[in-house]
Amino acid sequence: MFAVEAKNLKKTFKTKQGDVEAVKDVSFQVNNGEIFGILGPNGAGKSTTILMLTTLLRVTSGNGKIQGLDVGQDDSEVRKKIGIALQDTGIDNLLTGRELFFTTARLWGFSKSDAKKRTLEMLDLVGLTEAADRRVKTYSGGMKRRLDLGLSLVHKPEVLFLDEPTTGLDPGSRRVLWEEIKRLREDGVTIILTTQYLEEADELADRISIIDNGLVVAEGTPDELKTSIGGDVITFIFHSYEDAKKAKGLVSNSEIENNELRTTVENGAERIPDLLNKLSENELEVVSVSANKPSLDDVFLQVTGYRLEGAADTEEELIENE
Amino acid sequence: MNNSNAPFLLQLGILTKRLLLRLSRRPLAELPNIFISAFFLLVYDGALGGVFGGSAAGTPFDFAKGNFLNFILPVSIVSASVSGGASGIYLVEDIESGVFKRYQGMPISKWAIILAPIVVGAVRVLLQATLIMTLGNLIGADPATGIWGYFAVLGMAFFWGMGFAGYSVAAGVRSGSSQGAQAATFLFFPALFLAPTFTPRYALKGWLETAAAYNPTTYVLEGMRAIMIEGWVSDLILKGFLVAGGFAFITLTFAVLSARRATEKS
Repeated sequence: MFAVEAKNLKKTFKTKQGDVEAVKDVSFQVNNGEIFGILGPNGAGKSTTILMLTTLLRVTSGNGKIQGLDVGQDDSEVRKKIGIALQDTGIDNLLTGRELFFTTARLWGFSKSDAKKRTLEMLDLVGLTEAADRRVKTYSGGMKRRLDLGLSLVHKPEVLFLDEPTTGLDPGSRRVLWEEIKRLREDGVTIILTTQYLEEADELADRISIIDNGLVVAEGTPDELKTSIGGDVITFIFHSYEDAKKAKGLVSNSEIENNELRTTVENGAERIPDLLNKLSENELEVVSVSANKPSLDDVFLQVTGYRLEGAADTEEELIENE
Repeated sequence: MNNSNAPFLLQLGILTKRLLLRLSRRPLAELPNIFISAFFLLVYDGALGGVFGGSAAGTPFDFAKGNFLNFILPVSIVSASVSGGASGIYLVEDIESGVFKRYQGMPISKWAIILAPIVVGAVRVLLQATLIMTLGNLIGADPATGIWGYFAVLGMAFFWGMGFAGYSVAAGVRSGSSQGAQAATFLFFPALFLAPTFTPRYALKGWLETAAAYNPTTYVLEGMRAIMIEGWVSDLILKGFLVAGGFAFITLTFAVLSARRATEKS
């Protein structure tokens, strides 16, 4: 049995401008104990997919299962199995960390004494023991995210959904959160993580599903995805966009972005001299050239046709307007 | 994994306690509201007590039977009931901050989530009513029904406050903003003043007397006044309780239906 299954999930929002398909067809399976990354730009359908799987949004068609339980039919049981830390789940800023953990534990059915014990455990787990009696409004962004993560773990869920857990955090706080997420995997928690950070997906995810425009466009381990491109990525930097554009006509299977031209070839280092000669013969001066193994960025570019940065941000607006 | 979850009443208790804790964290936002009705009791008595109080004995203005405080105290109590309107704001604050969504993702009753702010609103009304009655008692209010009369007034205030709480929750959920919930409480003003607020109904001008006859506030005021001035006059008191209870029932139903629509998965 898979920890999580999404089968042909589809979500259509009705708006004043007409129907909008936020998720067109998303399927994946997540094994127990793995970190599964859903990578994509804002508006790709990541958050909508998570909201459907966590019972917070009705599925238009298709189905989802959590530990074999049907989303939409066994919602109450599904909620007991999962922990949720969404981008827009709130934290009561007027209460302290200790009060929030205690209240959450009591709502999950812990007795008073067990709730006190669990509160201490959770404060320790997310490194907030010292700040336990401070009101949350005095916490830093990183502390709030750790608190949010902790609150989603109070009832010891089997599956944890994290929707862009590090968005807006500074690099230091991001690293701290990454370590906590890895530790949870070691404890056997299955984690579904959405992110728009390639580095985050590469660092954390055992497997990745790339979602674009409501569709799964690639899936595999980070290494599988990188290998799927084949060869090495050679990057030429020119003085101008015009030069890069001219070079594109000379180098097959290449993409340009500003004054950069990239191409993927077998044995990249060996091909560089030939390519440089060809460009030179056409009076194109190369500022710098490099050959690297493909990154997730390259994978993303190949499967979507654009780079991850700067994509449109419409999904959250649609969900909010529902 | 923890497989159980708290029973409904415990959930309601925990969520109510959380909201009360929130209120205690911003006393400056809450205290003026709590004292304002008590302040108006002093002002009304100071401004009108001379004309309609003991000196009115034997004149057509003697509707307070010599103690204008007994007549005007219910006005302060009823005006305090608007503080039940804060309930909608508490709920909308939770919706706006995303706390509501966090609870939706847990296997807890959505009714507990919705009822908790209503209970807090009612507690606020009770607190204010108690403060007003204590002040009234100190400065000379003297219910014809004795100490139990105060409890009866408190009971009626509780239902009336629940009514306003339910109304504001419905308005808040439907408007989806705390400003919307706040704006909806302005209904209170016509409700309070298109009623026999400062004089009995028979002394009102024709149009206002007609409006007052259709205004439920009238029957709550008259019920409370019967307790304070006349004694255990069952028909007026019963009418007051029925109207307050009916108002609470209608607005709570309205709140529940509105909330059901808002919390249903889209």
